[in-house]
Amino acid sequence: MTEHQGKAPSAVTFHGSWTDFAKIALPNVLLTLVTLGIYRFWATTRERQYLWSHTRFIDEQLEWTGRGIELFIGFIMVFFLLGLPLVVMQLVINGLVFQGQPLLAGMIIFAMILFVFYLTGLAYFRALRYRLSRTYWRGIRGGSDDEGFTYGLSYIWKNVVAAIPLYLLYPWASMSLWNERWSKMSFGPYQFQSNADWKALMKRYLLFYLVPFLLFVGAIMIGISAAASGAGDNPFSTAGGVAAAVMIIFGVLGIYILMPLAALLYYSKFMRVAIGALRIGDLEFDFTARSPDWILYWLGNLAIWMLAYGAAFAPFSIFIAADPTQFAQQLEAGESILSFGLVIGILVAIIPIAFASSIIRYRRWKLFVVHTEAFGEVNLDRMTQSTTQSASHGEGLLDAFDVGAI
Amino acid sequence: MPMFFDAWHFDGQSAVRRNVEIEARGHQFYLREQDKQSGPFDFADLRFLENKADTKVYGLEGRDGWRLGLRGNVPSELVPMLPAAKTYGGLIDRLGLGKASLVFAGISAAVVAVVLFSPQWLAPLVPSSVEQKLGDALVGDFGGRFCDTPQGKAALAKLTRSLDDNPQDLQVEVANIDMLNAVALPGGKVLLFQGLLSQAKSPDEVAGVLAHEIGHVRERHVMQGLLRQMGLAVVLGGFDGSGGSTLNSMLSTTYTRDSEREADERSLQALKRANISPVGTADFFNRLAAMDGSGDIKDRQARTMASYSSSHPLSDERRKLFENAVVKGAAYKPALTPDEWRELKTMCAQDKDVKSGWGFDIE
Repeated sequence: MTEHQGKAPSAVTFHGSWTDFAKIALPNVLLTLVTLGIYRFWATTRERQYLWSHTRFIDEQLEWTGRGIELFIGFIMVFFLLGLPLVVMQLVINGLVFQGQPLLAGMIIFAMILFVFYLTGLAYFRALRYRLSRTYWRGIRGGSDDEGFTYGLSYIWKNVVAAIPLYLLYPWASMSLWNERWSKMSFGPYQFQSNADWKALMKRYLLFYLVPFLLFVGAIMIGISAAASGAGDNPFSTAGGVAAAVMIIFGVLGIYILMPLAALLYYSKFMRVAIGALRIGDLEFDFTARSPDWILYWLGNLAIWMLAYGAAFAPFSIFIAADPTQFAQQLEAGESILSFGLVIGILVAIIPIAFASSIIRYRRWKLFVVHTEAFGEVNLDRMTQSTTQSASHGEGLLDAFDVGAI
Repeated sequence: MPMFFDAWHFDGQSAVRRNVEIEARGHQFYLREQDKQSGPFDFADLRFLENKADTKVYGLEGRDGWRLGLRGNVPSELVPMLPAAKTYGGLIDRLGLGKASLVFAGISAAVVAVVLFSPQWLAPLVPSSVEQKLGDALVGDFGGRFCDTPQGKAALAKLTRSLDDNPQDLQVEVANIDMLNAVALPGGKVLLFQGLLSQAKSPDEVAGVLAHEIGHVRERHVMQGLLRQMGLAVVLGGFDGSGGSTLNSMLSTTYTRDSEREADERSLQALKRANISPVGTADFFNRLAAMDGSGDIKDRQARTMASYSSSHPLSDERRKLFENAVVKGAAYKPALTPDEWRELKTMCAQDKDVKSGWGFDIE
């Protein structure tokens, strides 16, 4: 049986609705709250079940088979095997500094940073491997036979090399890591291949790289021209004052709008190049989200966050507004301000924020699915079960680092 | 007597979708597809996976990727053989979302309460030898920064004796670091920083601060704080993002502020017993208030914000506390004689071996 896939309709489609998703997200927030956060591993699982099962590849939905307990066990293991030792090391370092051995303390800190950096790389790899191994399509799953230990080393040295020429080689590092990571993944019997070219990213990267310099030069130019036009006694009534104001506006604009915008332009290009270079079997992929799509996505997220923080602050301010003088007096006298109402206020404030981050994960998934295209053909007879190890996957120590995987 | 039902099936070996007929025989079943047949499988090995639109999807224990999908209403004869559909999973489905939430909330509240209140009872149970070792591990000899002259040490010992009935449990040291501060550490260690001594106008000032730190030791605040901080970190560690850490810092600063007030009370009592005037300590806080600016904050809101985030009560408030404790007309005696005070103040300058600063330049 062979299924051909032309350009239209899209091979990868999304069929979810955010209102249906909210029916999963809201109970998730409630349960996460009353379990002091422990439920979030099961919440993540339920979210993914929804997202995966409403994503259709050719003619069949994806299926997420990961379980909350796997993420939870991973979290517990990392907490005890990594988190606690790091806290203890912190104490040891403090002790060493107190005892006048700053050099030794510095060396330990350096080793720890290196170790955590290695683990971060490993975690990226393991997260992707975990997600593929829990993703089923027509009863077939993905995975990797690689443990990711060499990838962790690559992560260190490639990032170091990228940093040496003042981070100018960052696109090379991230793209080569993408290629390395995906080339070790498989789905069914097929190995992924990725040979994305980093040089295609350089124009956008230089734009991002140069924004701060351009802003700086612009500010200096304005400053010089203002200084030339004279400085009076009242700085805000003279040209110098106007220039200062313009410089401030310029700076704010630069930091909060131009920088994220430039980063978004780069990221947009990165994703198009990276996914566009991905192959598996006779399938090729394409990613069609362009900068305007990302900008809209980003603005939407911004609006959601603003709404969420507004809603989060509301119960708080009501609580304080109920009796502001008494509240202030208690604080000033150093009395305990801990009250049932205040704790409830903070807990309630978590609800809109947790809900918003859930909705944003939905938006992100949708953006990726809607803009992903696949070309080529899938031979279903030859699409056999993955032979990668799977039983030990989710329970593995570092799957808990489940950071943004793609 | 076999029964037959229509279903779709993936065998987990290939991606080919099969339309099959389930042939149920007692607690087992076969899957038939034209002339092919697989099975027998046990109904007990079926696992409910998901509701996919109008279809219920089941997996099979021990068979990777094996799927069986039943479209529409499941025939009533088959229902008792199949595992129940799950929404949230085990416990929550059994109790219902509302009841389960209440149960979880109750457990969580109990856990937080235990973590907050138990350090008060647990801290005294930590053997003093353990605390001693912890203190040594943390500080040791402070890299040779403890100042030591016979006269200076004698003055310090006298001051300590006058403020506490069991001075042998305490290890009070002056550290050669220019900082306006003092700390209590595990194992009855109290460090006065040289900056505090240099800036002090009278021994009474130092007496108040030392008594405050001894108060922390006697109330076992250091161990309590450590235990509480560890407990909260574990319990609220489940939250990601800022929610957990906001709660954590709020709960723990509330407790440190309470501890500071207890230590201040202790300090006032000790000064009273030793017949030392609290005016000196009030002066100290006055200087501290000038530094942290709390004396200048007239605006009520700003004061509230400043004290909200601070681990100590505002210095200005503490100055008032000590000022109000002064008994008019009382015959206070100085905490040290002028000679002793001079020896203590200049101990670090006289000590030839002592190291200074942090070993690297922060100042």
